[in-house]
Amino acid sequence: MMVLRLRRAGWVALGASLAVLALARPVAAQPTADEIMTKAHLAMYYAGEDMRARVTMRLVSRDGGERIRELTMSRRDLKEGGEQRYFIYFHRPPDVRDMTFLVWKYPGRDDDRWLYIPALKLVRRIAASDKRSSFAGSDFSYEDVSGREPEEDTHKLLREEKAGERSAYVVESVPKESGSVDFARKLSWIDKATWLPLKEEYYDRRGELARVFTGEELKEIQGFWTVTKRIMKNVQTGHWSEAVLADLRYNQKLSADLFSERYLRAPPAELTR
Amino acid sequence: MKFSLVEFSVGHPKLVVLLTIIVTLAFMTQFPRMKTDTNPKNMLPATSDVRVWNDEVDRTFALYEDMIALGIVNEKGVLNSETLGKISRITDEILKIKGVAARDVNSFPTITNVTSESGLLKVAPLMPEVPKTEKEIEGLRKMLFENPLFANRIISKDGKTTAIYVPLEKGANGRDVADRIREIVKKEKGDEKYHIAGDPVARDTFGAEMFKLMAIFAPIAGMVMLIVRYLMFRDLFLSVTLMMDAMISIIWSMGLLIGLGFPIHIMSSMAPVFLMAVATDSIHIFNEFYFRFRESKDKKAAIIETMQAVGRPVRYTALATAAGFAVLMFMNIIPVKVFGGLVAFGTVALRILSFSFIPAMFTFVKEKNIERAARGEDISLSRASQFLRGLAGFGAGRPTVTVFIGVVLGVAAIIGITKIVVNNNMVEWFKEKSDIRVADTEINRALGGTSTGYVVVISKGEDGIKDPQTMRYIEGLQRHLEKLPVVGKTFSVVDYVKRINRVLNDDNPRFDAVPETKEAIGQYLFLFSMSAKPSDLNNVVDYPFSKANIWVQLKTWDARAMEEVIRAVDDYRKARPFTLELKPAGIAYFNLVWNHEVLWDMVKGFLMALVVVFIILVFNFRSFKWAVVSYVPLLFTILLIYGVVGFSGKRFDMPISVLSCLSLGMAVDFSIHFISRFKQRLAESPAGSQTVTPRSELITESLLWTAARPGKGIMRNAVLFAASFAVMMFAPLTPYITVGAFIVSMMMLSALMTIIYLPALIVLLRGWLFKGGLP
Repeated sequence: MMVLRLRRAGWVALGASLAVLALARPVAAQPTADEIMTKAHLAMYYAGEDMRARVTMRLVSRDGGERIRELTMSRRDLKEGGEQRYFIYFHRPPDVRDMTFLVWKYPGRDDDRWLYIPALKLVRRIAASDKRSSFAGSDFSYEDVSGREPEEDTHKLLREEKAGERSAYVVESVPKESGSVDFARKLSWIDKATWLPLKEEYYDRRGELARVFTGEELKEIQGFWTVTKRIMKNVQTGHWSEAVLADLRYNQKLSADLFSERYLRAPPAELTR
Repeated sequence: MKFSLVEFSVGHPKLVVLLTIIVTLAFMTQFPRMKTDTNPKNMLPATSDVRVWNDEVDRTFALYEDMIALGIVNEKGVLNSETLGKISRITDEILKIKGVAARDVNSFPTITNVTSESGLLKVAPLMPEVPKTEKEIEGLRKMLFENPLFANRIISKDGKTTAIYVPLEKGANGRDVADRIREIVKKEKGDEKYHIAGDPVARDTFGAEMFKLMAIFAPIAGMVMLIVRYLMFRDLFLSVTLMMDAMISIIWSMGLLIGLGFPIHIMSSMAPVFLMAVATDSIHIFNEFYFRFRESKDKKAAIIETMQAVGRPVRYTALATAAGFAVLMFMNIIPVKVFGGLVAFGTVALRILSFSFIPAMFTFVKEKNIERAARGEDISLSRASQFLRGLAGFGAGRPTVTVFIGVVLGVAAIIGITKIVVNNNMVEWFKEKSDIRVADTEINRALGGTSTGYVVVISKGEDGIKDPQTMRYIEGLQRHLEKLPVVGKTFSVVDYVKRINRVLNDDNPRFDAVPETKEAIGQYLFLFSMSAKPSDLNNVVDYPFSKANIWVQLKTWDARAMEEVIRAVDDYRKARPFTLELKPAGIAYFNLVWNHEVLWDMVKGFLMALVVVFIILVFNFRSFKWAVVSYVPLLFTILLIYGVVGFSGKRFDMPISVLSCLSLGMAVDFSIHFISRFKQRLAESPAGSQTVTPRSELITESLLWTAARPGKGIMRNAVLFAASFAVMMFAPLTPYITVGAFIVSMMMLSALMTIIYLPALIVLLRGWLFKGGLP
């Protein structure tokens, strides 16, 4: 067990250093679309070995009605660009306080998800066949929270242009299996400096713009550039969601053991802070 | 010397015709700017209470104003891989249609299902992939029938019918989307039958059909009128002139309407037909002209004499008609106001033309032609005149019997009127065999219903809906409403909570109930929202959980169905008083309010018009007594028609209420003509002006003359009118058939009433009427 863990950590370290190397390489040659999207995927969803943040989500309806979700989200990578575990502890709304949610993410197959329901004092495994479904009722899907594997789409570099102040690559991604996803085409504006997505446009199967993601605020935390404020807007319904990440910490040495079913009922302070 | 428009027109016919053409062309320049609005919903302005409230409800619960239901029927059952494959393919295609709110289409492949399989909680679409094996199909069957949210909604009890619910984006045209869906299902082969239903289909189809019918019907009616006129007068030029009279006034009024920036609404699209009807009144001018020409042989003199003789009644009938419609301008509903103003303006235009354009055109007719035609116009020779004389003779000869029969009929009619049922059902505006009707009947038979109403539950504050007591109250209300035969299905947030409670407790039916604590409810809802489509929850609760929305699926589009729901809600509230507020909403509620408002606005307008017309009659005859007498045929006709409506079980709906106004404007014309000419005749006779009270024989003789000569004009008017409106009885939409039948019977009846009852009444009441001499 001990050996295994060491080995895993070693892999993670290697992966991370490779990623850093890749980032540090001078931008001499034009990267391919696939390279851009792989780097973006790593920068957005695999920064550090682990991460913890206090997330406040505002779900805003067309006429301005608001629902608030406040949660602590922790993440532990098992393999850079590969398996990950998420632990979510809910603070608000008040009636779901102490609810916890655990996700084991595997590349190439369905996640495992568990939910603890305090009112029933019961842990339930939840099926997760659809990664495109809404995360906690917001406009973000599970994939928007934990990432969509770049291999699932074919990418094409369309152009380079300014997105706000920053210069970006504009990449078009088309899902390889069109039946399994709700979008037919996605345009991403990837920041050249940080590899983070500044903006994404999702087009539905009729070719109409359906959802728009914007990275509203970028901060460097412990050397990792992070999108600390994100908005996803459903332009067809007018509904939008905002997620603000606060108290963000990387590399807290969160043990992979914490991300297991038995901690759902009584999560340690490291995961609820 | 007083200026006479008629003399001027006869003196300068070319100038008058030229001026008319120029004015007409000026109005015509507005036509390219024409905008149409086929949505009957716009009968009520967007600012009306019900629309504001419905919009608010739509926003609060992220609802769609309009929804189409596609029913798929397979007599062998829909749960086989072939039919399921079709359902999946069709759903997929529907998602691509423009105007469809794809994210919220509910069908087997998209509807959210909550299940539990060996401890694994699953909130996911019901049928993400088409099942292939028998075992998979069995699994689907089990999920469908054990989830109360599905029964009667997407699967019928017998498993033979399913439905795809297609919500529309704001502003999408229901008919266009329905047409696209038709194309999609046409590509599928097999035994399945497809039915497309829903309010937007009916409404937009009706709106479009109505315009189309007006475009087809108005010219056909015009042609029929032209032919009938030609048969009556045997002169093509004059027949065309009379037609032009109507056409010009239609162009003027429609041009004015467009010029003022109003869109042409379904209501105003009826104006041309109404104006054509009003224009038939000018037949009295022709009628008299032929008689006069025969007598004097001088064309110009005949024209001027004619206008002198019929000028007064024609002016007053126009005034009465215009006033009857102008009254509508004081109503609440904007399209009704516009319609009233439009027809009133057209009527005035028609009269101006009667005194200018028509006399001017008369001067161009070859005398030889008129002579030939006028030969038939001898009241002693004409068979029609003889017949009318006979009718009037019956009334004048046996006045007591005639009036007695009238009273008996009147009493019977009043009994019929008390039986009138006020109701409106837009789907029933289509014929029984029409696709829309059949689709609606089929889906309503098998599933919960195509018409949707809402009951909005408003609690005292945030999270109020999460209270177990509130939940149970809502549940009780749902069960109460489901007892109504018109209610096919109800569902609310409570159904989701109960479902999750059961699923989380190992599918134990004992937990198919509202949980005990507010926390549990809150957590269940949160859990549900974590995986379901956002709309699943948004459609039934608002953001702060202070309002809930109960969906009530109705099996009929009857406006009364929603009335029953509202009454049932009130009963429930009275029986179980609670702190919650309950308010109706939704399309069914809108239809109820809309029908109600338009209908009663028309009834109110009708009653006001009755009063105004009476006042005009008093002015016309300068006598209250004569006004009363002239009023009788009008009232009697209306009474009889509504009596028949009551006995026949036909519902008093919007089209009928609109017609009431027309009936009034037209039916009163006949008595004005009859009495005016009768009195003229009396005054002209040497004996009449001398004696204080005319002798009975003289009265009878004058009555018979009136029936035979101006009476022929009345009869011609009625026949012309009836003939052209009879065309409507072949229309594919029932309101048109109603309008056609109504107008045909109304015209014939009021003409008969005028010719039989006026003589009877005048003879019977002569002592009272002629007291103090001839007014």
